[in-house]
Amino acid sequence: MRKIGLVGLGKMGVLHGAIVNALPDCRISAVCEREKFIVNMAKKILLNDVSYYVSCTSMMENEALDAVFITTSIRQHLPIIVEIAKAQRDISLFVEKPLAESADSARLACETVANLRGVHMVGFQKRYSPIYRHAKKLIDEAAIGKPLFFMAHSYSSDLLREGKSWRSKKGTGGVLLDLAPHLIDLILWFFGDVKSVSAITRSLYSREVEDFANASLVFESGLTGQMNTCWSVRGFRLPEISIEIYGDKGNMLVEDDMVKLEPGESTMNQEPQVFYKQTFDTAVPFLVDQREYTEEDMTFLDCINRGSEPGTSFSEAAKVNLLIDRIKKTASGTI
Amino acid sequence: MTPFENILIGDNAFIGVSHLSNARARQTLQRLNVEKIVEVIRAATSNGATGYSFTVHPTNSQILAKLESSGALAQDFSLYPILPYAAGYVRTMNEKGLLGTLGDLLNQVSMVDRAKLLVRGVATSIAEDPIGLMKIYLDYEISRIPNRAKIGGVLLHEVITDLALSYRATNIIQSFIENIRNKWHATPGFVTRNFSRFVEFFDQMKLPFADLIVMTPFNRIGFQMIPSKQSCEASLSRVGNAKVIAMSILAGGYLNLDEAAEYIRPLNLSGAVVGVSSEEHARQVFTRLRTIEEQRSKRTNL
Repeated sequence: MRKIGLVGLGKMGVLHGAIVNALPDCRISAVCEREKFIVNMAKKILLNDVSYYVSCTSMMENEALDAVFITTSIRQHLPIIVEIAKAQRDISLFVEKPLAESADSARLACETVANLRGVHMVGFQKRYSPIYRHAKKLIDEAAIGKPLFFMAHSYSSDLLREGKSWRSKKGTGGVLLDLAPHLIDLILWFFGDVKSVSAITRSLYSREVEDFANASLVFESGLTGQMNTCWSVRGFRLPEISIEIYGDKGNMLVEDDMVKLEPGESTMNQEPQVFYKQTFDTAVPFLVDQREYTEEDMTFLDCINRGSEPGTSFSEAAKVNLLIDRIKKTASGTI
Repeated sequence: MTPFENILIGDNAFIGVSHLSNARARQTLQRLNVEKIVEVIRAATSNGATGYSFTVHPTNSQILAKLESSGALAQDFSLYPILPYAAGYVRTMNEKGLLGTLGDLLNQVSMVDRAKLLVRGVATSIAEDPIGLMKIYLDYEISRIPNRAKIGGVLLHEVITDLALSYRATNIIQSFIENIRNKWHATPGFVTRNFSRFVEFFDQMKLPFADLIVMTPFNRIGFQMIPSKQSCEASLSRVGNAKVIAMSILAGGYLNLDEAAEYIRPLNLSGAVVGVSSEEHARQVFTRLRTIEEQRSKRTNL
């Protein structure tokens, strides 16, 4: 039985805790949460048979854990990684996305775990969705030939007035750190490293952070792309991602719920092929929210069992922070 | 085989939900308004729908008020609210954090109930009695439904049900059942996407299935049937007198109506819930479901 610790019992902590508890051979056995009110509530309705701590060091000293999920606000990620790594060198860590609040912190997180045993993974769950996995396979198989350019967006209606949580505070918030990391991770996964960036950011409702960003990207491969992200678009019940890719042998549209492939040099007599979630086997052992959360947690546990590295490792995740910082830096001075 | 008791209209199309395509959901929403939705519901009922299952989304308050004032609902038509409106609270949580969300919730509940919570300070009392808060919240939501007399059952949203299953939070499940039965004299129900685990949990905790509704996916391709189609089908024989209502029978619009109907026809279900987006769609779907109902009734009478 794998013993798992959970640091931060917010929305994502509760979600991962539920999945882990529902999977075979693993169990949440300790929780580190500083907010007494949340601990008292959790003891009554969620986890009454686990040990609670207010410090990671004391949790690590008192519990023989195999892995820890870090699901706190972003700025706490790095100090917690450092604290846990000091206490136990072979611990496996799962950190919610993004890895850190800046490229510097993400680099320090990578350095902290560089010589440690264990699996170090970041929660970019979109890569575990059958839709995005299929899109990646089609791109790699050159189903649309060589990608020439793309148009991508990530929109939500999450913030339609000034927010009050850490997501709206300078240093820990903004659409680029909150909503955009998934899209940025997918773009980097699909297309590789970025050579140059030019960008604009705008605040629409927030005083301290950006609510909108537009970035023009040139990749090492020569591919170019446009990316828009905004968490203040009306009419989106859920956050949505869309990536239109134009290649020299066809076009492809990738969204959260489908891949539409238009192969060939001409569209004449060509029906587009559409792959929905339903096209793929959708069964997982336990389902809460989207199935990719279960898939990513299973991948994390499987990597621990096999001693293998996940696709969404710390070093892959650090690339996302690096690109976010480049976008912010290029955009500084814009409205 | 029992006849279908519940042939329900689902509200997905009315609130912008599609399990096939978010873009399609938005397009559907663009051509609907409350008046058109009431006509869709009217078309469904005149073709055999026996009730309406809905989340407590703001749009539904308007729909229900309109249904009430227009007298569109038949005497025996029943309402099945699903609580809470989870997506709304997730958004508030992103915006205001957990404490801010709870603060908002408290501001919504009635002054009397709020006074009960405020006696020892809001945070302390919620932490000491989260189940009490849940009851107050449920009472508040149910009391806002304009046609309360028509409530046939009240269902707990799948996110809460499924979290409760995983955390083995028996007190959430039990308190929900008691509150809905004792205070509202309605049938308690649960929406779950983990049907087999739900059945196992009730068995292990010795919770009775009798007079419960369980709404869960059943469809030919096993979409969202967790952990597998076979396991969910097998679990159907273990729920005693619970009324299992199949949802996602069209796998979010991926299957056609005949495929969907043929799959559910022989299953031990109490009925199905299907979302419809136009009057014509409503006529097709509910006429077809009524046909299955008749076939099942004939077999029962033999």
